[in-house]
Amino acid sequence: MAPKKFLAVAAAMALSAASLTACGGGDDEGGDSSSGGKVEMSFWHNSTTGPGKAYWEKTVADFQTANPNVTIKIQSIQNEDLDGKLQTSLNSGSAPDIFMQRGGGKMAAMVEAGQLKDISDQVSAETKAAVGDAALGTGEVDGKTYAVPVSILPGGFWYSKNTFQKAGVTATPTTMEELTDVAAKLKANGTPIALGGKDAWPAAHWYYFFALRACSQASLDAAAKDKNFSDPCWTKAGEDLKAFADTKPFNDGFLTTSAQQGAGSSAGLIANGKAGMELMGAWDPGVIAGLTKDKKPLPDLGFFPFPAVSGGQGDPAAIMGGADGFSCSAQAPKECADFLNYILTKPAQEGYYKAFNALPVSKEAQGAVTEDYLKAVLDAYNKAPYVSQWLDTVYGQNVGNALNIGVVNLLAGKGDVAGIIKSVNDAAKKG
Amino acid sequence: MRPRRRGIGWAQRLEIVALSGPAILVFVGFVIFPVVMAAYYGFYRWKGFGKPTNFVGLDNYVTILQDTAFHEALWHNAEILVLSLVLQGPVAVLLALLLNRRMRGQSAIRILIFVPYVIAEVIAGTAWALMLQTNGAANDVLRGLGLDAFVQDWLANPKLAIWSLMFILTWKYVGFAVILFLAGMQNIPDELSEASAVDGASFWQTQRHITLPLLMPTIRIWAFLSIIGSLQLFDLVYIIWGQYVASTAGTSTMATYMVTEGRNAGNYGYGNAVAVVLFIISMIIALVYQRFVLRRDTDGALTGGR
Repeated sequence: MAPKKFLAVAAAMALSAASLTACGGGDDEGGDSSSGGKVEMSFWHNSTTGPGKAYWEKTVADFQTANPNVTIKIQSIQNEDLDGKLQTSLNSGSAPDIFMQRGGGKMAAMVEAGQLKDISDQVSAETKAAVGDAALGTGEVDGKTYAVPVSILPGGFWYSKNTFQKAGVTATPTTMEELTDVAAKLKANGTPIALGGKDAWPAAHWYYFFALRACSQASLDAAAKDKNFSDPCWTKAGEDLKAFADTKPFNDGFLTTSAQQGAGSSAGLIANGKAGMELMGAWDPGVIAGLTKDKKPLPDLGFFPFPAVSGGQGDPAAIMGGADGFSCSAQAPKECADFLNYILTKPAQEGYYKAFNALPVSKEAQGAVTEDYLKAVLDAYNKAPYVSQWLDTVYGQNVGNALNIGVVNLLAGKGDVAGIIKSVNDAAKKG
Repeated sequence: MRPRRRGIGWAQRLEIVALSGPAILVFVGFVIFPVVMAAYYGFYRWKGFGKPTNFVGLDNYVTILQDTAFHEALWHNAEILVLSLVLQGPVAVLLALLLNRRMRGQSAIRILIFVPYVIAEVIAGTAWALMLQTNGAANDVLRGLGLDAFVQDWLANPKLAIWSLMFILTWKYVGFAVILFLAGMQNIPDELSEASAVDGASFWQTQRHITLPLLMPTIRIWAFLSIIGSLQLFDLVYIIWGQYVASTAGTSTMATYMVTEGRNAGNYGYGNAVAVVLFIISMIIALVYQRFVLRRDTDGALTGGR
């Protein structure tokens, strides 16, 4: 075993994140701008490479040209590092003025700590018209706006059309029975459904979608308020998932398969023709493209929404997805909101789509979308009676974490449906 | 004023302060302070944003002690602790005995044994995770040898996962034990084994009655380091099993529980309370061990020299 110099090393390491938050101070980069004076803002996003990084550089340059008194310092931070860095800087009072916002429970915690700027009155009429209330709602807490979305990332099945053909699947499934049938054909073809169980959240997404079909919109909302999961629909969702998982539709060793890292990950299995499809959010095409042999998008990639499940109270056409957005920190100058309005203008949004290969949130920019699969996503999105955010985002990290653990245990055969509900209720005691 | 001990003038004391001051400052800042802060945060229900305000007293600790996931993690730690001693100790002693004599290829063998210890945990963990995957190199080799019956889910099967972990831990840390034991053997005077050879003792008798007893202090120190390391095991498990699968596979430890329930769930107050529990458990075991096992070895150094 590894010798450690001090007993406290482990504790110290684990707590370094927490202890950093205790060192206050830091320079306040915000500061109010006197009218007409020079304004400097800092801007954090998570695109460290390629077209995404170039897009933000260009967008910021264009904005500065239009607003000569504003300078924006860009800092691009690795996606996995972003949350931790952001938390530390928010707590130490040296937060960036503009930063990427993942929404949900984390955003609520930031709002509660008074770390975000209320921009309700500064969202322009043009922005409201282009984005629409449903999408803008993702950035609201108690009816006040704290973030604006830039892209919509609904979840559903991403599949390889060629593999489907080889497996003898002629049409994409629209009901659970058809999905089970497709899964069996794919398994027989040696190209099963890919599942990144090691990261747990891809497994939990299966449960979320079954819950979206089993629970009415009202029960989903009620659970978000009181964190009570005793409604029978949550148990039905678990049983539906268990029934499907019992048909062994997933790739071998899915428990130790990661979601996005390397050729052996679930996205890598799709990219290399070793799996037929996976259930994932709309960022998947980009991830798969990065894992193909020639690092190019998969030419035969297709999308279909999660099928209808009989006996539930949810609308069979409802979809689930997240919305990546941006927030202003509490001390940010008013120009911060101007920048947020700017990135939602048609040209900026079209550029966003081209750079990230993701659906822009602005309806004006959605006309520029050409890829089949993105059109399929858009079609499902526009047909949906309502769009639920990812449940782990809605219910917060704490419940999301418990769902992750419960679902992985269920799929591994270690736990049961009651175990999922129990672990979620236990989580309420911890945070 | 008590009379001071002779021989320490204030100039000398100044020297002591000047020389040890920086180290003490760093130690307080990076070890003592975080521990104190952890104890403080552990009394709150806190999401990690802003100042902690929701004081819950000992609630976090009550929840931890009732959580079956924590009981499992604690049990895994105990398994790892015992198995590390039982597996690594004998293997390391045997290897050290072999390497303690002149033989061909000695340095090559030494390097082979010691290299895993030098490799960073993250790299070793990633490599083993890739090799032991269901469709990884280990199973491919077995299939290639026609041993399909032995193909296993090395990491995901709860019956096997802990043994896979123990294998990796042994591979990784046995080198450290060997180096310690070799150093300990260097300190055993040659005259003793020569004398026993003159008295007609065989090689194994010599090792059994001379080398091993004289190596015991070294073994006790190594066991201490191994126990502390086992209690705090985090990196390899976290890398190989990710954030959530460890508890399912039966390899979670108190440290991975802390990160899963603290950082990943955003319950920083709760996570800090787990850290305090881990700290207290390690502290008690360390103190008991030093008091009762290491007493003779460290007399005067740690126990006041009475």
